[in-house]
Amino acid sequence: MKILVVEDDNWWAENTARTLEKLKHQVVTVSHAVGAIEVIDGFQPEALILDMILTGETGMALLHELQTYHDTSKLPVILMSSLDNLNLDDLIPYGVKRILDKATMEPGDLAAAVNAL
Amino acid sequence: MTERGDLNYDLPGLITAAHELKSPLALVRQAALLLDQADSPDERARLVHQIQLTAERALRLTSDLTRAARLDDAMFSLEPINPLALCTEIVQDLGNLFRQQGRVLDFQARRHPLLLVANRDLLRRIVTNFADNALNYAGADGAVRLQVKALQKGQVIRIGVRDYGPALSSDMWRKLQKRLSKQDYQEVHQRPQSSGLGLYIAERFAEVMGGQIGAIRHRDGATFYVDLPSSRQTSLL
Repeated sequence: MKILVVEDDNWWAENTARTLEKLKHQVVTVSHAVGAIEVIDGFQPEALILDMILTGETGMALLHELQTYHDTSKLPVILMSSLDNLNLDDLIPYGVKRILDKATMEPGDLAAAVNAL
Repeated sequence: MTERGDLNYDLPGLITAAHELKSPLALVRQAALLLDQADSPDERARLVHQIQLTAERALRLTSDLTRAARLDDAMFSLEPINPLALCTEIVQDLGNLFRQQGRVLDFQARRHPLLLVANRDLLRRIVTNFADNALNYAGADGAVRLQVKALQKGQVIRIGVRDYGPALSSDMWRKLQKRLSKQDYQEVHQRPQSSGLGLYIAERFAEVMGGQIGAIRHRDGATFYVDLPSSRQTSLL
């Protein structure tokens, strides 16, 4: 599966990419929302792993942006964030399938979330 | 034993500090969990290094919090400081952290700057804090640059930390300016995963030294800076 990881912490991004690549996924990482839009056009990911608090525009702004285009509005999203007040029900309309809390998630949770897409 | 009533509880401050520490602690935890799955010595070494350096960043933050809490009742000696030497030390200290993340930290000085007056330890913490912030903010290929220059006909010395990451959004910039003009103490994100605590600490440190901090927005990044009075002493340290 082609997966885009949008994460501005370099080591989180690196560890996430390595975990997914071990599972034979094709991964591209970007550190901010503007870069994500640019990469989506060329890479055409099948899933998005998204941190919410990003440099510049937030993850929420990116989710809004994706909803404005027909071809990206159905892109499945897994949120991976340190924020502990995210509500999945509120975010389902934005294509969010799963929320992973960085403070409590296990390495296997990411693989499970991707496999469930 | 301290009575509960004797303690100066600052719940919002504690919540902010807890939030600030959550990100590095979560990364340390995750890297430790990944150690079990590491399939090569190189992978293990990489993760151990991440844990070590991330823990050091978290510890720097706790040290800053302690210092900030004691500023009011502590005596800080001010002395003439050579900003070039100080920046060179910081570049050396943080070089490894930057290299590990594929970033470069360098130093640029325009002309020969004057000495400034500051507490060496607090000033180091301010600049290190800005550099730490820029580490996350810099683009994948972007360097982070320490800059020193004299302003106001040499009466003020500015040490800036310039990054070349994506530009601050207008909304974030407005919040930052509001924060720096002290109209807003709550909502500002000095950096993406920050609750603004680093900025608050830097501001407190600068104030007790008779200086101030600020930020400049560029098309390709930002500069966070601290301005401090220059020293009338002409001899170099």
